[in-house]
Amino acid sequence: MNKLKTIIPVLIFFAVLFSSYQNIFAHEIINKTVPDTLSVETTHAAIQHELPQAFMIVPFIILLLMIATGPLFYKHFWEHHYPKVSIVLGAVVVLYYIFYLNNYHSLTHTLAEYISFIALLSSLFVASGGILIRVDKKSTPFANVIFLLIGAVISNVIGTTGASMLLIRPFIKMNRDRLQPYHIIFFIFIVSNVGGALTPIGDPPLFLGFLSGVPFFWVIQNVWHIWVPAIILILAVFYLFDTLNKKDVDVVEYSGKIEFKGMKNLVYLLIIIAAVFVDPLVIPGVPSLAPLPFGIREIIMFAVVFISYKHADKEILKANEFDFEPIKEVAFLFVGIFATMVPALELIAHEANVLGDKLNQGVFYWATGTLSAVLDNTPTYMNFLSAAMGKYGLNVTIKQEVINFVRVDDIYLVAISVASVFFGAITYIGNGPNFMVKSISERAGIDMPPFFTYVIKYSLPILVPIYGIIWFIFFR
Amino acid sequence: MKKLDEVLENKINGLYYNNRLILPFHVHFLKVIIENEIITDFSPSSKGIYIREETDFTDVYFLEYKHLKDVVSKYETIKMVVVEKEKNVFDFNNHIKLAVYLENKHVLRIEKTDEDILFIE
Repeated sequence: MNKLKTIIPVLIFFAVLFSSYQNIFAHEIINKTVPDTLSVETTHAAIQHELPQAFMIVPFIILLLMIATGPLFYKHFWEHHYPKVSIVLGAVVVLYYIFYLNNYHSLTHTLAEYISFIALLSSLFVASGGILIRVDKKSTPFANVIFLLIGAVISNVIGTTGASMLLIRPFIKMNRDRLQPYHIIFFIFIVSNVGGALTPIGDPPLFLGFLSGVPFFWVIQNVWHIWVPAIILILAVFYLFDTLNKKDVDVVEYSGKIEFKGMKNLVYLLIIIAAVFVDPLVIPGVPSLAPLPFGIREIIMFAVVFISYKHADKEILKANEFDFEPIKEVAFLFVGIFATMVPALELIAHEANVLGDKLNQGVFYWATGTLSAVLDNTPTYMNFLSAAMGKYGLNVTIKQEVINFVRVDDIYLVAISVASVFFGAITYIGNGPNFMVKSISERAGIDMPPFFTYVIKYSLPILVPIYGIIWFIFFR
Repeated sequence: MKKLDEVLENKINGLYYNNRLILPFHVHFLKVIIENEIITDFSPSSKGIYIREETDFTDVYFLEYKHLKDVVSKYETIKMVVVEKEKNVFDFNNHIKLAVYLENKHVLRIEKTDEDILFIE
């Protein structure tokens, strides 16, 4: 009954969004002005509409504040009611766009992005939940550094979400006799965020850039020289923290074994990775399911969720204490975040376009980064890419123009790509896996710092100076 | 009153009803984890948990929840660090990590956490 109470508002919410979808396509048939795919449609279409009033960012600010303060000051109200809060605040913005602005484009675009986002996250979450890695070795600061470095590399192959889900448990187990919250926080910094900056599979904004026309290997070719020092610096700080950690109860005996169970789920992970490319824009001939707000890719990913859970090894699920709560938390919070951030993103995009000529790569770096820390980094990336291309009179919705832009002057794209991925680590809400890692860690008994403590005690003093160095060397 | 060792060895189950666990032993509680809530306050004024010892069992009420079954899913457990009564609480070797599973028909399965279960004391 309780689950029904939670699900019904979500269904209503999506029904309203989907009805707006039908409206937009009825509208398109008449005007024939909108591209027939939504996956790279950006806020250009929305900008042609009336801009939202500034006060419409209030629901977004309220949601962010509640995410930050809820677990701290009214934990049990928040735990029981966050889905309703998220949906109600999202609905305020949705209704404003539908009935006041008559702007369906922004909503439908956001809905399509949300479905892609949750399809990828949930499929990686469930598939990796059926894999058990046993690392029964005693950790040392050096071993941890190597582990995190490997995690950073793997996050470019199976995404930051997949790598986080796969590696957080063995990382906790390795460190179980000396574990401190900073272990988890550096894991979030490196594996859940910064590590995934080298390929379009690594992090969703880079993936959207790839769908828009940025060549697949452009990212690694142009970002590796920034990725390497960033990873080295963060690992160096971690090594310092870990060396100073003298907590060692030493009641645990280690066999020294490393085991891997759940091989078939590796196949599911490979299917998810392959599905990333199943898009009409990447592989000509892949059918578009428009006007539906999802494509073949999302169907494959949701099918993997179903099949991998249904056929998972029950012993592995038990060992992983598999539960849908972490992904449910992300799904509910991000439905509100995606909906409420639409006005904020449109206002930002507008300002970026107006100020385009005055913006240099440093401004793009800091602006993309700051907003990626508190907004979803995918639309932030697209809006700033749009603004950067606007400086050259190029349109982000046209694939050839994106390719031209990359050839002409790619420093802006480098700044936007790096910042959108790196700065996701600044807050728990900067990137999807951050929250999942936090939730898994808390269920394991680790007292994780609340939202503001995470920012003030860890990300501001550690990451911001490192990102400042990156800016000074590469984007000044 | 059964000892915890005896309960674990003989796989004796407890019971649960709504937000109440009935554990067939008496122990000192050090830490309890339900969902992502870590409870370490076991004083009478604790807002999260209320523990009462009866002659043959221990009642544990989770005050913030109405029905444990709503929040603890199939593969999840409620985890506890406990110490057998009359044993030295300061000796880490006496700290026992338990996982309790909510089964059908109000049956509460009690196990020592196996090596795979993530549980940091």
